[in-house]
Amino acid sequence: MTLFDLVIRSMRKNIKHYYLYFFALIFSVVLYFVFATLQHDPAVVAQSGGSMGSAFTVAGILLLFIAGIFVVYANAIFLRRRSREIGLYQLIGLTKGSVSRLLIIENTLLSAGALAIGIGAGILVSRVFLLLLMKLIGFEGFIEVTFSVAAVVQTVIVFLGIIILTSIQMLVAVYRNTLLGLFNAEKTGEHPKKPKAFRSAFLAILGMALIAFGYWLSGRMLNALLFINMIAVLTTTILGTYLLFRVAISWLLYQIRKRKQGHLGLYNSLSLAPLMHRMKGNANSLTIITVLSAMTLTMLAGVYSLYYSTEKETRLVYPFDFTFDDFWYEDGQDASAKFVSELDKQNIEYTYSTIETLKVDGQFEEGSVSALLSDYFGASIISEEQLQQAGVDIEIPNSDTAYLYDAGIYWLLKTMEVPFDVKLSNTEKELQLEVAKVNEGNALNPSGGTQLVVKDAFYQELKELFLNDKSGSHITITNTINVPDRDQLADASAIFHRINEENDQFGYDYYSQYVFGMENYGLLIFISGFLGLVFLISTGSILYFKQMTEAEQEKSSYATLRQLGFTVQDIMRGIVRKQVFVFGLPLLIGLLHSIFAIKAASFIFMSDITLPASIAMGFYALIYLVFAFLTVGYYRKTVKAAL
Amino acid sequence: MMDQHKTVLHAQNIRKSYGSRGNVQQVLKGIDLRVLEGEFVGIMGASGAGKTTLLNVLATIDRTTEGSILIGDSDISKMKDRELSEFRRDKLGFIFQDYNLLDTLTVKENILLPVSLGKMKKRVAEDHFKSIADILGIKELADKYPHEISGGQKQRTSAARALINKPSMVFADEPTGALDSKSASSLLGTLEDVNKQRGVTIMMVTHDPVASSYCSRVVFLKDGNIYSELYRGDKTRQAFFQEILKVQGVLGGDSVDAL
Repeated sequence: MTLFDLVIRSMRKNIKHYYLYFFALIFSVVLYFVFATLQHDPAVVAQSGGSMGSAFTVAGILLLFIAGIFVVYANAIFLRRRSREIGLYQLIGLTKGSVSRLLIIENTLLSAGALAIGIGAGILVSRVFLLLLMKLIGFEGFIEVTFSVAAVVQTVIVFLGIIILTSIQMLVAVYRNTLLGLFNAEKTGEHPKKPKAFRSAFLAILGMALIAFGYWLSGRMLNALLFINMIAVLTTTILGTYLLFRVAISWLLYQIRKRKQGHLGLYNSLSLAPLMHRMKGNANSLTIITVLSAMTLTMLAGVYSLYYSTEKETRLVYPFDFTFDDFWYEDGQDASAKFVSELDKQNIEYTYSTIETLKVDGQFEEGSVSALLSDYFGASIISEEQLQQAGVDIEIPNSDTAYLYDAGIYWLLKTMEVPFDVKLSNTEKELQLEVAKVNEGNALNPSGGTQLVVKDAFYQELKELFLNDKSGSHITITNTINVPDRDQLADASAIFHRINEENDQFGYDYYSQYVFGMENYGLLIFISGFLGLVFLISTGSILYFKQMTEAEQEKSSYATLRQLGFTVQDIMRGIVRKQVFVFGLPLLIGLLHSIFAIKAASFIFMSDITLPASIAMGFYALIYLVFAFLTVGYYRKTVKAAL
Repeated sequence: MMDQHKTVLHAQNIRKSYGSRGNVQQVLKGIDLRVLEGEFVGIMGASGAGKTTLLNVLATIDRTTEGSILIGDSDISKMKDRELSEFRRDKLGFIFQDYNLLDTLTVKENILLPVSLGKMKKRVAEDHFKSIADILGIKELADKYPHEISGGQKQRTSAARALINKPSMVFADEPTGALDSKSASSLLGTLEDVNKQRGVTIMMVTHDPVASSYCSRVVFLKDGNIYSELYRGDKTRQAFFQEILKVQGVLGGDSVDAL
């Protein structure tokens, strides 16, 4: 029998050991290939282009890392399960060289198969992903998936690299281990030692203190040291998480167990005891999984919130569909007239009004605003009544006070204590104005300046005060146009841009900003969703593989327990308790981390993102829990077959 | 004298076959067996005679193909799996050849496992544990893990676990199979003591004549049938041992196995 025959024979006999590794490989190939296809797809390239292209590149590199780590991890588990077999080959006289060759031939066959199947499956599913992507960025048109040779080549190269990596891993397993080590590899597990009381308590408290500090700091990052703060938050929470798993939880479990004085009970015997036995080895993977989950959750929740809030956020910045003023236009009145006549020609319904703005110089009290902001600003004073007449539902301030609007710096101003005073001035006059509230968004489409909305009577007073020949103050008129019908709005936006181009003008309107946001965030949500899915499935699978191995190792315990008269249900109850810990704890801590991270990042939003963030997190948790159920199912099978 | 005691186990016409149609192998071919309270019954026989199968069937771990088994007042051949589990937990004790201790539990935790789901109060369980650990001489090992103790100590732990729930019957499958002769005789002596002083009924499968000489009765199986029985009566252990050897000689085929 040649070595090759042996390979084929062992593969056929060992199919149940292989399938796990095989699926891990296929899965990685499919995802990578789909990603590569999209990256090279002309439709996607045309749609995304520019800056978003680099997002694809970065995501591709990340994906490469995840796929690599995942395959190497799966291979390690696979090798450990087969270590007895590897030992046996050596025992019957195969040299280490032949065993290595055997394993590498196997690995190459397996990987080549996975590559072929994965690319095949990838071609089938890439269309689904492309449709999803186009839907997300709001592209409505016929798309054709072209078979991308470049994607195939890229995938093959990447996985050749991974095959080399796993082959090296196999060589190490064969050459580095003694026969005895190979035969006992499946049994390894530590035995809990009595933790050193003082040291453990100290480290446990340190771990929790680090996490708490990280959380605390995450809410106070917005100052000149932003970057250093971010690094500090990351370091303290990751280190704290590690200590939590490595020391705090072992210590806690030890204390619980000690208090039982030997009366551990079945459920704890199946959860607490095995957990303690593997805590040392599990601390690393649980930390990695927690941190990965936290990162994925934050990424997903953040990006989904961006996507979800696009319309709201854009509307907050652009309360009117179209505006023409003297800031963006040489002659706003004229530009507006051209636009309106064009709208009339196309039979597009619209509402038109004009809003008057008084421009003066404004100044925050010294030291009252963030260091990131200048004290001086251009103030645009607007009458509340005119806004109401133009159809904006706006809050009415008390007489003599103002509501401040400035979408651009809202995130810096929203933390200011109200009321506060601002100084309004021109070359001649000065006035202290009380700002009662800082509101989200703008009162009028952005036109260079911070907007102060006041009551109409007060506006007239201010106008009288500031407006005279010698002063620099002046009045500008903003022409606002709203198109109530959404379909017509798209047409109107096209006209708006055409007229702008014809007249060599530059202007922003609500609709095109909204579409731009949807395209960008749509692509972003797709890429991060894709990465998130890969992260999620990788972490879920790693936990599942680990638990599978544990189930195999504990099979004899289940047999004993069943002989002693415990039913499958009794045993499962204890096992479920263990799974709640193994899956639940990383998820819970990951969620907690990400909640604080999202809170810290929420400054970029003007609208409330509790809902979209919760949706994204809930969705993540749901898929994650599928793996917990799969694991419990596997255990049930093992326990049932044990007797 | 034995007749004064009540029957703990009564098996009638037990048959057990494995395999499916066309390839049926009958392992037990109609065994009748009655065990009285306080007996220490040894089951001997050559490899393949059906010793372990009989034990498993009587111990409710396996089901018979035919026949009925009464333990106490319960007909276990009619019970459902769930009831059987509960019955095993409450009424029976087990000692296995390779101890079957849970590696992740300490000696004490292992011993207390069978009473962990029962109604036994913690105080009562603690008292039980103390007295049993005392008899078996493993009190000092309570907080040790299985990997830290010797084979003999492991088997004592296993025996203590079998006794903790005051079972009506203890089943032992080759309990000395993995022990050196000194640990083996020490364990058997303890089992004998437990049997005599506490009146625990024990059934032990073994192929070691020395081990079975500790019993009060030895049942010999051959090809799935009961071949003969020996009662120890008032004989010394040495004399009983000689008798067992004689029967074993007649039975034949076991010489290889006994090694």
